[in-house]
Amino acid sequence: MAITAVQNPTQIHRLPQSKYIDAVRWLPPLSPLSKLAVLAVFDADTDIPSLEIHSLSSPSSSPSPTLTQHSRWTPPSRISSLASSSSQPLVAASTLAGSLHVLSVGYDPMVDDNGDGLVSTMEPVLSMDEAGFHVGPICGVDVMESVLVSVGEDGRVNLVNFGDKGFRRVFDGNGLVGFNAVKWASSSEFVTGGYGMGLQWWDLRRPGGPVSQFKANWSQGKNGGMVHSIDIHPSRKHTCLAGGSSGAIFAWDLRWQQQPIVLSGVGIGDAATPSLSESEVWEVQYDCYTKPSNISSSRVLPAMFCSEDGILGVVEQGEEPTELLAEPCAINSFDIDLQNPSDVICSLEWESIAIVIRP
Amino acid sequence: MSGDTNEGALVAYSAEADKAVVYPLRHGVKPPISRLAISWSRGNTLRVSVLRKPSTSGDSGDEVGGKVVEVKLGSGDGDGEISDAQWRRIAYGSVSPFALLQSRRNSISTLSKMSFNSSPYHVEWWEYVLEYSREINSLLGNRQSPPCPLIEDPKAVLKKMEEPTCLKAAWELMELFYADKLSQAWLPEQLVDWLADYDSLLSGTQMTIHLKLVDFQKDLVSLQVVEDHSKYWEVMSSALAVGWLDIVVKLLRLHGSYQLDQLGKREVIAFEILQNLKLDRLMSLETENGLVEAVAVLISKMPRMRPELEAGKLGECFKAKPDFIKAWEKWRTQITKLECSAFWVQCAHHQTREGLRNMLQIMLGNTNSLCTATCHWIELYISHFLYVRPFTVGLESMYNLAEKCIQLKPVACSHRLMGLMIGILSENIEVVLAECSRGFGPWMVTHAMELLTAGSDQADILLHEERNNLGGISMEELHRLVYAQVLSSHALTWQIAPIYLTSCMKQGMGLLEILLYKQPVYNNQLLLKNMEICRLYELESVSSNIMKIAGMYHWKHGKKGSGIFWLQQARDEVRLNRIAQQMFDSVGKSISDESFRQWEGLIQLLGSESKAVGGLEFLHKYRDFKKCLLQIHDGKTTEAAHQAVESLISLMKNPSTPPRFWLPLLYDSLKLLNWQERPLLNASQTSLLLNKLQELSMAKLRPDFVEADLPPQALSFVRLALATNLGRANLEEQ
Repeated sequence: MAITAVQNPTQIHRLPQSKYIDAVRWLPPLSPLSKLAVLAVFDADTDIPSLEIHSLSSPSSSPSPTLTQHSRWTPPSRISSLASSSSQPLVAASTLAGSLHVLSVGYDPMVDDNGDGLVSTMEPVLSMDEAGFHVGPICGVDVMESVLVSVGEDGRVNLVNFGDKGFRRVFDGNGLVGFNAVKWASSSEFVTGGYGMGLQWWDLRRPGGPVSQFKANWSQGKNGGMVHSIDIHPSRKHTCLAGGSSGAIFAWDLRWQQQPIVLSGVGIGDAATPSLSESEVWEVQYDCYTKPSNISSSRVLPAMFCSEDGILGVVEQGEEPTELLAEPCAINSFDIDLQNPSDVICSLEWESIAIVIRP
Repeated sequence: MSGDTNEGALVAYSAEADKAVVYPLRHGVKPPISRLAISWSRGNTLRVSVLRKPSTSGDSGDEVGGKVVEVKLGSGDGDGEISDAQWRRIAYGSVSPFALLQSRRNSISTLSKMSFNSSPYHVEWWEYVLEYSREINSLLGNRQSPPCPLIEDPKAVLKKMEEPTCLKAAWELMELFYADKLSQAWLPEQLVDWLADYDSLLSGTQMTIHLKLVDFQKDLVSLQVVEDHSKYWEVMSSALAVGWLDIVVKLLRLHGSYQLDQLGKREVIAFEILQNLKLDRLMSLETENGLVEAVAVLISKMPRMRPELEAGKLGECFKAKPDFIKAWEKWRTQITKLECSAFWVQCAHHQTREGLRNMLQIMLGNTNSLCTATCHWIELYISHFLYVRPFTVGLESMYNLAEKCIQLKPVACSHRLMGLMIGILSENIEVVLAECSRGFGPWMVTHAMELLTAGSDQADILLHEERNNLGGISMEELHRLVYAQVLSSHALTWQIAPIYLTSCMKQGMGLLEILLYKQPVYNNQLLLKNMEICRLYELESVSSNIMKIAGMYHWKHGKKGSGIFWLQQARDEVRLNRIAQQMFDSVGKSISDESFRQWEGLIQLLGSESKAVGGLEFLHKYRDFKKCLLQIHDGKTTEAAHQAVESLISLMKNPSTPPRFWLPLLYDSLKLLNWQERPLLNASQTSLLLNKLQELSMAKLRPDFVEADLPPQALSFVRLALATNLGRANLEEQ
């Protein structure tokens, strides 16, 4: 998709889907002109979940871009978490029933959709639904090279390697703890998050339990809340970005362990911290498009978030937050295109997709 | 329910319910099935639990013991023209305009502190309603024609349009009559446009002019000399009767006489014919063509009482009535002159002569011609506005005219749009509401109500009046509640029901609470969305109750961490204390062994904030105590031992430590009590512990006491150790 001239204001396109979108991710392009996204879809009329690959194109005849479905795969249950690999055309999806699936995306050499571009297909390469893998929903999944990590409400942390059969249990919380989100920091370290705004740092070289735990003392405001999403910047692995309840977005720097850097949130941190959202922050990601105003390594890089009260915005330490989108309904997930970081895709509560193209 | 009448029913139901419908169940449970349990699920869904007889032999261990399936009753088709997904899209889209209008209403009424009907803001109010109406209208579909082909087909008289919906037609009708106060002056012309857009909708039940045109369009391709066919003339006069002037002129230009190469000349001839000059020198064919062109010119110059016309539409617009009347009289005179002119004699082609004269009769408003040219009564009605009574004003005279047209063209079965139209014209608000409800469902009634109340004070009073037969609520509230019920019955729309419920003064909040309580709690994301609604409407007690329900659900399903989290959020100390009692059973067994790490996370979660933890505070201290004891075992001694003693004392002092743990705690601390080097506990500490032992023997007499799982001599060991320690401590202190 061509990126329009610099002076243009932010373009926002809303594309109604007539199905509920549980999660959305960009895929790395398979050819220079293609722009693909993977959607975790739930059809409320038939109760059938599906994973769909759509290509985004802007035809000259229409003022807004269109999504064309290329391929579709039906998971055994509704999709709870979706991750795509930045290096390879792979999609990892976990379900509410506790199974994990990896699909590889490629072009179908047999089909050519009238010269407009090749049609992409999805091929399941791994399905993990063994008894004892997870009990109940898997809440978070992340992929690094060829290893997947999955966490769930059951408190289990599992690793799955593409090459091997079966899985490796890193930890079993036996339901005494539960995790909502997971993110790789390096090939042997990852961070999990869950109830009570807690974060746990794990190192596979030091098995048995988390290496480091972070539990902020939010006692001046609400005690509660949970972490919904975590992001770690590849160049700053010591800092972990997390988003959760009450509009909270904070960074945990391993070097200053018990003091979170609060970027946004109600009732936490300084009262002076401006906050765009007061409800659940469903997803956070470092925003590589917004230029940081201060590149000192102690400053947290700009981060994008989406929230239950319909805000898509960018927050930066010590700066006024910017609002990109304010919808009358929740924004449940979003993804920044790593190839064109100006482009953001979001899934809205009211069965639609929004595409935001920044100038 | 009585079988044949709907009397007394608040919401209409159909008699089709008598027919038996079979819904196949696919449960996949192997027979024998021993039990079936049926209950209502969300909306029209039944939840059926199929339970298998528990097998006595162990061989079928892998078989599922039962399954819960949901059956959707009815196809939920509604009227069939709008799919479920489209209905949802309309429902989502109408939330913002509705909410905006409500908040404007509230701010106006607080500003004026009066009923806004009598306030000066009333003038602006209908503008807000119109803005609202336009926004809702845009949700119901845009009538955009596909881009025009570069080379226009001269024979394509009907433009290809997206199929319109009755819902949009009905909404536009309501907007015309109730919201759009600016256009009231040219209401008849608005109705002409409305029929041009939606005549095709009436084709389903009856012959219409649109259907005639569609049929003729098909034939047109194969016709050679169109003017020889009576259908050509028939279709043209029909289209003329309802004012589709552009189509008529386009059809007229297909007349055979145009094929002569006399492009420049024919306008001159037409002009001369219209001026009624003597033109003896004309050939017959030239006259014929001149007449056709003259009629075409007259048609395209028809005066219209309206501010403007869409591009491509024909006629001359007049905003002011006097100007229009002058032009109208002049135009009629021209038609009459042409009617009486001598040129008709020179026109040899019989069909052309008769056809054109018939069209002139239509333009002159000849009732018989209009009646023959139109099919449906509404078409006849519209033709009256165009050619007979263009100055009709006031709903009463419009209604009388409609009645006359219905008499002339009776209909076998009434279309829902026509029912609505009659209701509006008869100025009967209740009929309009009933027709909206019957024909278009709860969404329409709820949202169209705003137009009705803006339309007249009488409607405003009628709809806002509290009624005893409705349990003290108003009509407006009743219909909003019904619509909210529809929204609540779907997993994807229940979240917007609160917007409508909170606009209901009497019953709204109660129903909102029920709605929130009924949402499933097993999915954290849904639960949080539910909590967010509670937060928005400041329903703290509801949200804390829901969190309690969620907490118990997770606790029962083995997710102890989530259970405790939600109960903590709800600040439910009673349940946390109960849970604590249950937890201690497993703590006693497992905290000392390897699975200690699992507890670590939970204890972290509990935090140090003792208020919200209830009896679980004990766990936190017990963990610290155990840690110190472990360190002593590992050889790190004196410092750890002192810490352990401190933990032990604070545990024993704390009222939240359950008595059943006293003995095990002391038994675990034997090593501390018999510390080699010097006594670790001073005399007062030791006496405290001895007192506790005394209390324990009293507690043992109570029926709810649970005996700890310890060796039988444990008590005597502890007694002995404490006594020894007391002796040593006394000695040391002296």
